[in-house]
Amino acid sequence: MNNDILALYKYGKVSLNQTFDQLFNAKEKRKVLKNKDDDYEGMQAILLELQNLVGLTNVKKLIKEIIAFVEIQEKRKEKNLLAEPIVLHMIFKGNPGTGKTTVARLIGKLFKEMGVLEKGHLIEIERADIVGEYIGHTALKVREQVKKALDGILFIDEAYSLARGGDKDFGKEAIDALVKSMEDYKDNLILILAGYEYEMKNFLQTNPGLKSRFPIHVDFKDYDTDELIEIAKLMAKKRQYELTKGALVRLKNILTNYNDCYNSGNARLVRNIIEKSIRKQALRLQKKKDISKEDLLYLYTADIEGNDKY
Amino acid sequence: MKKTVIIGRPNAGKTLFMINFAQYLGINKIYLTQEFPDGKILNKEMSIESARKSLSSNQEFKTQCVQKIEIKIPVYKGRKHLKLIDTSGFDDGIHPSLNVRNGIIQTLEKIDEADIILHIIDISLLLNRNIISQIDRQIINFGMIRRGYILLPNKIDLDSDKQGLKILKDEYPNRYMIPISAKYSYGFDEVKSFVIRCI
Repeated sequence: MNNDILALYKYGKVSLNQTFDQLFNAKEKRKVLKNKDDDYEGMQAILLELQNLVGLTNVKKLIKEIIAFVEIQEKRKEKNLLAEPIVLHMIFKGNPGTGKTTVARLIGKLFKEMGVLEKGHLIEIERADIVGEYIGHTALKVREQVKKALDGILFIDEAYSLARGGDKDFGKEAIDALVKSMEDYKDNLILILAGYEYEMKNFLQTNPGLKSRFPIHVDFKDYDTDELIEIAKLMAKKRQYELTKGALVRLKNILTNYNDCYNSGNARLVRNIIEKSIRKQALRLQKKKDISKEDLLYLYTADIEGNDKY
Repeated sequence: MKKTVIIGRPNAGKTLFMINFAQYLGINKIYLTQEFPDGKILNKEMSIESARKSLSSNQEFKTQCVQKIEIKIPVYKGRKHLKLIDTSGFDDGIHPSLNVRNGIIQTLEKIDEADIILHIIDISLLLNRNIISQIDRQIINFGMIRRGYILLPNKIDLDSDKQGLKILKDEYPNRYMIPISAKYSYGFDEVKSFVIRCI
C-alpha cells in the first residue's frame, strides 16, 4: 500500500479521485488475475491419481457420479431450484488389500478441493478406539473420535467387529452413539464403514436401521491376475526397479496358483512379493564384485519367490 | 476467513445493507466491532432493530469508522466464515473534515486486503441528477480488473419504472450488477449466491 499518497490525502493535498487512481487503477492493471483455476488444478491432480489406480472401475464411476451430482446441485442452487441435501456416508465392502483405505484417503482430498468438506482429513479408527471398557465410557470415546474427524472423514476399518461381542458387549453402544453423531453432524462429517464383504453383510443385517443411513455402498472387487501384474509393475516402478520378462512370468505363475480365498486378488500380497524380491536381489548383488546400473535396476526371475516363506 | 468490504458513496445505504444482509444470512443478534481511525476498537452487541436505529441514518457520513460483523454461512458440509466490513463513504475531491478523511483512508486500506468488494450505488441519485459520480466510475473501472467485485445498484424501491437502472446499464452494458433494495431486502438472494461463489 502506498502510504505517501494516503498521507497526502489525509492532509488535504490531493483529491480522493487521484488517490484512488494512484492506489488501485495503476497497480491493479499489472496484477495477474488470480482465478479459481488453482482449485481446478488441484482437483485434476487428484482425479489423475484416481485414474492411475489399477482396476476399481466401479469406484471410479461412483466418484465421477458424486462429482457431477455436487456440481449440478450447486448449479440448481444458483438458479434457485430445490437442491438435494448431500448425504455422503459410505460403506466399503471388499477383501483385504483391495484399496479401501487408499480410496477413502483420495475421497477426502477430493472433497476438500471441491469444497464439500472444510478440511478433508481422514481419521482412521478401529474397534478399540471407540469401544469403552465400562458403562458410559463408549459414548465418550465415540464423541472424542467424532470431534477429531469433524470437517473430514471418519473411517472405521473392520466395522463389523463392533457388533461381534454379543449382547453384553459395548460395541452396540458404540454403534448407537455413531448413528447419533451421524445425524448431529450431517453437515460436516462423512462416515465410512469398511470391512470384508461377508462379515459386513451380517453386520448390516443385525442393524436394519444402519443400512438405510448409508446411501452409498461400494464393492471393492478382487483384482484379477492381469491387474495384479499391472500393480506389481507400478510398485516396482515407484521404487525405481524393473521386472524382467521372466520375472513377470514367474510372478504370474505364483499369483494364479495362490489360492487363499481372502488373499488372492490382493494388492498387499503383491507388495510383499515385490518387497521380498528386492531384498533377495540385494542379497544376490552383495556377493557380486562389479555391480552395474542394470544389475541394480532389474529384478530377475530368481529374485521372485512366493510370499513369506523363509 | 474471507473479508467482504462494502463500499460506496455516503448515504448509499452501506450500513443498512450490512445489517439487513446479516439478518438475511441468519444472524439474529449483531456483534459489532468498530475500528476507529485513531486505533480505538469498540465491541458492541445489539439487536438488529437497535442496530438499524443507532447505526444507520439518512444523514451523510453517519459511519466514520470501519465496522465489522462476523458471519458463518453453511456451504455444503461445512461453514464458511465471512467478515462483513462496513466502511465510511467515498466522496469526490477533498473532504473538509479530517475525521471523514481519516475514515476514507481506512476504507482504502480495507479495499486493498479485501476478498470480495460489494460496491453500492444509490440509484435514486441517478434518477434526479442523471450523473454517475467520478469516484463511482473509478470504482467500477477498478472492478473490471479486480476479482470478487460486484456492483449493487441500491434503492430500487424508489426507482419504480427502472429508469435509473437503465441509465446505469447503458453506461456500463458489460458490467454484471445485482439490483437491490437494502431497506426491503430485495435481491439479497442473488447477492448471497455471489458471495458463496467467491468464498
